Amino acid sequence: MGCCYSSENEDSDQDREERKLLLDPSSPPTKALNGAEPNYHSLPSARTDEQALLSSILAKTASNIIDVSAADSQGMEQHEYMDRARQYSTRLAVLSSSLTHWKKLPPLPSLTSQPHQVLASEPVPLSDLQQVSRIAAYAYSALSQIRVDAKEELVVQFGIP
Amino acid sequence: MEAILEQYLEDTMKNPSTAGVLCTDSQWLNLGCLGTLSDERAGVISVLARQAAKLTSDPTDIPVVCLELDDGNIRNTMASHWQCTKWPL
Repeated sequence: MGCCYSSENEDSDQDREERKLLLDPSSPPTKALNGAEPNYHSLPSARTDEQALLSSILAKTASNIIDVSAADSQGMEQHEYMDRARQYSTRLAVLSSSLTHWKKLPPLPSLTSQPHQVLASEPVPLSDLQQVSRIAAYAYSALSQIRVDAKEELVVQFGIP
Repeated sequence: MEAILEQYLEDTMKNPSTAGVLCTDSQWLNLGCLGTLSDERAGVISVLARQAAKLTSDPTDIPVVCLELDDGNIRNTMASHWQCTKWPL
């Protein structure tokens, strides 16, 4: 029909069933405008189907939802409450003692007080980057030409008669 | 045997925008330095270039490290197994 989810593929059974709830193909729209009777018969059935659908959704939601406020809380006595608080605090103390080395790490240095200005500044010019890369490449080739020039013999014989 | 490298470093220094040049090997040994850079800086600068090279797995990519100071910039490039640092004015 031109809706966003319409396609030329065959409708699945579920789609056909959903579409039946809203539009009854047995009563074309032109007849519905003229006479209210054909519409009157299809409307309650559509309404009951809708009601059934809504009630099923409601039942599913009610089964999934957990209402915290409605749950009755068991009253705890004062001493029990204090015991639990003490127990939790000791556990936390044990855990936090192993985490102290994190607190001792120095924070990262704040390089600037105006980071947006530094980040928005002009980037390094491409010509400079190319120049430095070219210098590096040429120096690497010059480095590869380092070799030993053997000009003399290492071992010589003295003129001992 | 290092005459070619030294000659090239001197030619690089002739560029008016270069204040210093430093050449190190892969073990951070200073091979040659001219200008405002001395061999004391060889270790630190070469380590910076080496760490920058780890950011990419492309061996043909030459990373350029730029250090911005209040008074000037240091630009550093690393090519394969050695590094050349150029300090512009």
